[in-house]
Amino acid sequence: MLKMHNVRKSYRTDTIETHALRDFSLEVNEGEFVSVTGPSGSGKTTFLNIAGLLETPTGGQYLLDGQDVSDLNDRDRSRLRNEKIGFIFQGFNLIPDLDLFDNIDVPLRYRGFNAKERKKRIEKVLEQVGLSARARHLPAQLSGGQQQRVAIARALAGEPRFLLADEPTGNLDSLMARQVMELLEFINEWGTTIVMVTHDPDLARRAHRNIQIVDGQVADLRLQSALGEAVTA
Amino acid sequence: MLELRPILSALWRNKIAALLIAVQLALTLAIVGNSSIIVGDRLDKIARPTGIAVEDIIAVTYYPAEAGTDIVSMARADLDMLRAMPGVIDAVHSNHIPLSGSGSASDFYREPNQQIDDEVANVYHTGPEFLQTLGLKLVEGRNFTPADMETWNPNDRYHPKVTIVTKQFADIMFPEGNALGKFIYGGGDNPIEIIGIVERHLGAWTSWAKAGSVAFYPSFPKFTFGRYLIRTEPGKRDQVFKAIEERLAQLEPNRVIDMQTLSERLNKSYARENLMVKVLSAVIGMLTFIIALGIVGLTFFWINQRRKQIGVRRALGATRTNISRYFLVENCLIAGSGIAIGMAAAQIGNHFMVANYSQPALPLSVMLVCALMLLCVSLVAALVPALRAANISPATATRSV
Ligand SMILES: Nc1ncnc2c1ncn2[C@@H]1O[C@H](COP(=O)(O)OP(=O)(O)O)[C@@H](O)[C@H]1O
Ligand SMILES: [Mg+2]
Repeated sequence: MLKMHNVRKSYRTDTIETHALRDFSLEVNEGEFVSVTGPSGSGKTTFLNIAGLLETPTGGQYLLDGQDVSDLNDRDRSRLRNEKIGFIFQGFNLIPDLDLFDNIDVPLRYRGFNAKERKKRIEKVLEQVGLSARARHLPAQLSGGQQQRVAIARALAGEPRFLLADEPTGNLDSLMARQVMELLEFINEWGTTIVMVTHDPDLARRAHRNIQIVDGQVADLRLQSALGEAVTA
Repeated sequence: MLELRPILSALWRNKIAALLIAVQLALTLAIVGNSSIIVGDRLDKIARPTGIAVEDIIAVTYYPAEAGTDIVSMARADLDMLRAMPGVIDAVHSNHIPLSGSGSASDFYREPNQQIDDEVANVYHTGPEFLQTLGLKLVEGRNFTPADMETWNPNDRYHPKVTIVTKQFADIMFPEGNALGKFIYGGGDNPIEIIGIVERHLGAWTSWAKAGSVAFYPSFPKFTFGRYLIRTEPGKRDQVFKAIEERLAQLEPNRVIDMQTLSERLNKSYARENLMVKVLSAVIGMLTFIIALGIVGLTFFWINQRRKQIGVRRALGATRTNISRYFLVENCLIAGSGIAIGMAAAQIGNHFMVANYSQPALPLSVMLVCALMLLCVSLVAALVPALRAANISPATATRSV
């Protein structure tokens, strides 16, 4: 599903060059639920951004679904993001001016679905996350946990094969965090591959496999399930 | 895929700023619409055909050194000399300079001793050479002949026998178009025969409501000053101007001479119109510039405010084009509503201008052109920020707080 080989990412500012990822190699299989942990600043978000085509690596090779995505133009990268990848952010990132329905509608419009198809999908995912009654509420009218469920619904509406979550429970209390985690596990059971960055060791342990990133590299590989398959360069 | 509904609902939640720009656009359109119609009106006025070869004419006015000088014979000598000069096509005496803002007018009637229903015309005393000198086009009848010429003393009453009039005045006096050969009266019982009709002569006062109603008499009043109009070959006016200055000084060193070109005089006559055009054009330009700045500023502000959201949209699959288009469409919606209000405001403003300041009416076509222009300005103004917005990295979704 995802295969990175010797991926490098460095950020250059006026004075210093930060190597956020160095010779980063990792493989994630179809249907896996991988948790990513590591100290702050170790490169977890950078890894997710590259995996989700939000950023381009400085070097190395990245195959998404067998396709080398290094040389794609903005249009194709946008399309791939839209069709194959769902994003869940720590800060929910719902659009504050749009109600829940319209928020979930955003990626579907970029997909080019017709109004009927979009409505069907939006209603379905709202139901899945248990917020059908709130379709016309604004994000600000919801609790953090509810907002994150809407964000998950938005990520799911396009039926992506690959879900990337950057500390999705970071802003939630433990009860809400557990609900969100259960939702993600449920989604994973239905076949969606999930990579989740988290600080919560309990949640990390619930994934099939946990990866630790230290200093821009995969540090420790612990097989947590039979599905996990360690790969090193 | 224009995302109209979500853009509208997002706009609705930020309506104050949108409304401010829309109202500013509306006001701009109302002012620009009404100003441009006035500018257009003045430009039309300036561009009106005068019927006269303005570019090639020099006017000479002089005051003899000694009182009692025989102006008529002095003029005959001067004019003979002037006509013989190289570069001069013709020359004629005239009591006033056309298009100069100074002249005289008389009342005319269709019947002898009529008291009411007079028609006014601008009047010139001149000679047969006036057609060629002014470049007028005789469309009916005949020119004056030397035999028509009369000299008269300003203390006596002059009773013209014949006149040449402009077509405009001929049609006012005789709307059936059969003025030639008809008689008109100056209030008494002296009949004046219309012997010729010239196509056009704008007369003395460019802003006069009756400008273009002119009558010419074949006469030479013995005023205390003399005045000549001289037509030069095209392009030789300034050269001939200097030569005339020298020759007249040579001929009679003691008289006071004032020389002007007709173009100078006409420019002075249109000074108000020219000023109006300049001021209003500046106003139009300034307002358009200000609204453009406002739109650039507001769009930048909004884009900055929504950096995170733009990043999220990009992360969710928006292309750069999607992002730019979002802001352009949003701008179009604001501009469109502002312009709609502005069209209504312009019409109301125009009714007021028409009613109180006798300004021209604002036709829909001009309104639409102004609206379209403003829409283009607002789109161009929004384009730079909108293109910049497309450069906001999708990583903004995960990076910034
Ligand atoms: N846009 C950027 N410019 C410069 N340095 C950056 C940028 N993004 C991330 N970094 C640096 O890259 C390193 C890895 O960051 P990140 O992937 O966000 O870490 P994590 O998510 O594990 O906390 C950090 O040192 C961070 O300061
Ligand atoms: Mg991070």
